[in-house]
Amino acid sequence: MTTATQFARQDTEVLADREAKSGAQLLLEALERQGVDTIFGYPGGAIMPVYDVLPKTSLRHILCRHEQGCGMAAIGYARATGRVGTALATSGPGATNLVTSIADAYLDSVPTVFITGQVTSNLMGTDAFQEVDIFGITLPIVKHSYIARDPADIPGMVAEAYFIAAEGRPGPVLIDLPKDVANAVTTERHRWRPYPKVKPEMGKSAEIAKAEALIKDAKKPLLYIGGGIAQGDGVAELRDLVKRTEIPVVSTLKGLGSLESDHPHFLGMLGMHGLKAANYAVQECDLLIVAGARFDDRATGKLDTFAPHAKVIHMDIDKAEINKLRTVDVGLEGSLKKNLAALKPGRTDVDDWRKLCYDRRTEHAWDYKSPITSMKTGGVYAPKLLHDLSRRAPESAIFTCDVGQHQMWVAQHCYFDDPKDHITSGGLGTMGFGLPAGLGAKLGAPDRTVITVSGDGSIMMNIQELATLNRYGIPVKVVLLDNSALGMVRQWQEVFFDQNYSEVNLDDNPDFAKVAKAFNIDAFTVTRGDEVDAGIDRLLAAENAILMHVKIDTYENVWPLVPPGRSNADMMER
Amino acid sequence: MSELQRDKIFESSGVSGTLKIVLHDVSGTLIRALGTIERRGYDYRDVHCTQRVDGDFDLLVRIEDIGGPRNLNILCNQLERLYNVVSAEKVGRRKRAERA
Repeated sequence: MTTATQFARQDTEVLADREAKSGAQLLLEALERQGVDTIFGYPGGAIMPVYDVLPKTSLRHILCRHEQGCGMAAIGYARATGRVGTALATSGPGATNLVTSIADAYLDSVPTVFITGQVTSNLMGTDAFQEVDIFGITLPIVKHSYIARDPADIPGMVAEAYFIAAEGRPGPVLIDLPKDVANAVTTERHRWRPYPKVKPEMGKSAEIAKAEALIKDAKKPLLYIGGGIAQGDGVAELRDLVKRTEIPVVSTLKGLGSLESDHPHFLGMLGMHGLKAANYAVQECDLLIVAGARFDDRATGKLDTFAPHAKVIHMDIDKAEINKLRTVDVGLEGSLKKNLAALKPGRTDVDDWRKLCYDRRTEHAWDYKSPITSMKTGGVYAPKLLHDLSRRAPESAIFTCDVGQHQMWVAQHCYFDDPKDHITSGGLGTMGFGLPAGLGAKLGAPDRTVITVSGDGSIMMNIQELATLNRYGIPVKVVLLDNSALGMVRQWQEVFFDQNYSEVNLDDNPDFAKVAKAFNIDAFTVTRGDEVDAGIDRLLAAENAILMHVKIDTYENVWPLVPPGRSNADMMER
Repeated sequence: MSELQRDKIFESSGVSGTLKIVLHDVSGTLIRALGTIERRGYDYRDVHCTQRVDGDFDLLVRIEDIGGPRNLNILCNQLERLYNVVSAEKVGRRKRAERA
């Protein structure tokens, strides 16, 4: 077999270049041609030829303190900017430390390119020092991957990698670069042909007509939107469709912000920790219009009880998602932006349905009163803190978060008016995501306020990235909700395992404010509810990176909760 | 046999068949396709791969699902989204007989 795919874009300027250049030089020049301005990386033995050339380029290199941090910063950068994020690491442990980030990017369809050093070609397959088969390890979690065997392939390979990462349904692409290929000098530039797979622009007109007919006939239509709206650049078209049809809308975790949180037709997030009004609407609707969502189990609960009375229209860029988990009545493959714009059924005549949905939304609105005793004694109620913080933060603020209870509280209680405002690890659910994603987002969007919400379990997984904030003066605002426990696991042990608390106690946490200060990051601790307002003031006013450490009650839970394997109709409450 | 293995959700839902997959002659494509089939919930019963005169490869696999909701058309779509997979389709009995 040949060593590289033969179907890439190639630009004539590159082919005309006959100057002798090393593989490393060709790689970095190719990145510059792609418009890459920032790389998140960590050097090591096998990638040293690339680092040797790096200072001579225009590329901004951000030295994170762990390769996982590099990968997640690249994801944060990509999600804040809509551009392809880039991470760089060495072979062996450097490469394996990227694996969680690659999986995160795969599950959340984030356009990213991961470049790994590799041992020299003659040592590959010999269990050499710092050799792992990262190509093989990552096969199931990349959109595509390469091993560079010849420096002359590198310009075309890089061009294709960035094209693949961003086209259609975005995702991660891996380039594994053996050290000898990085060092080898060549005057050759191999020609790569344009990639032939062109995704369909939009659904067939007959299918669109069928979808419109279903919408017109429906008595209880509902839009179920996901992360594909933002990734398909379909936010404006979605909002226009909702304005024209006045169909109520529910969202997945990743779809939040596609419609403003306070939009009159928005019912909230659906699923395991969804809002009651949203879950009830799904259970009762007779037509579900799915746009850029994939029937994830956290959203659907027990699948065969999900939207049991509904016909389904499914719009997605990825035809492999249509009919995957739910048989549809109409499938519209292709650009969400174009398909949403093409749907013109007119205003739906379903006032009774709308009234039912919106009355329920009012009935089940948050009251921000905690049921636990700590509130009565002046403790901090995290949902209210997040509600207040997001409404006092600048409208353009970006929230990144980690995984666990605080992640769900952010989704439930923060205000988003753009999907890029909310950067969370949805598919993989990666603890340790929030801090590096926050620094990547801030570097990608320097004019926007970036607030990272983390938990005491999650932050310890990538706390070394406080050093990166300090090194580059990246003014991320960190809110650390500390309940001295692995809160979500503790909640499940309380609710589903007879309060058999096993390995969730973190009451020996360090003093997080002191830890932050040791990294030269300003920090303070809030322990009482009446300190929250002043804490938010200080957090938002800070010009440099700052950490607000908030002590909350261990036994505060996230509600509602749909038990795993149950219908979304079976929501538990406090 | 463990409780998990006895659980009927892990019993085959009876989805089986033969797929013909055409692959470009590019390093990693064969293993990527085979891995996708297994990861998407199928066991192999037969695998046969031959190179065509145009340099592409014909991969013929006979597979059975391992349980859960499975659909060979979806699997074909998942294979076709892999780069350097030209096409993936179910092969009917007549086609197999003709080939034989």
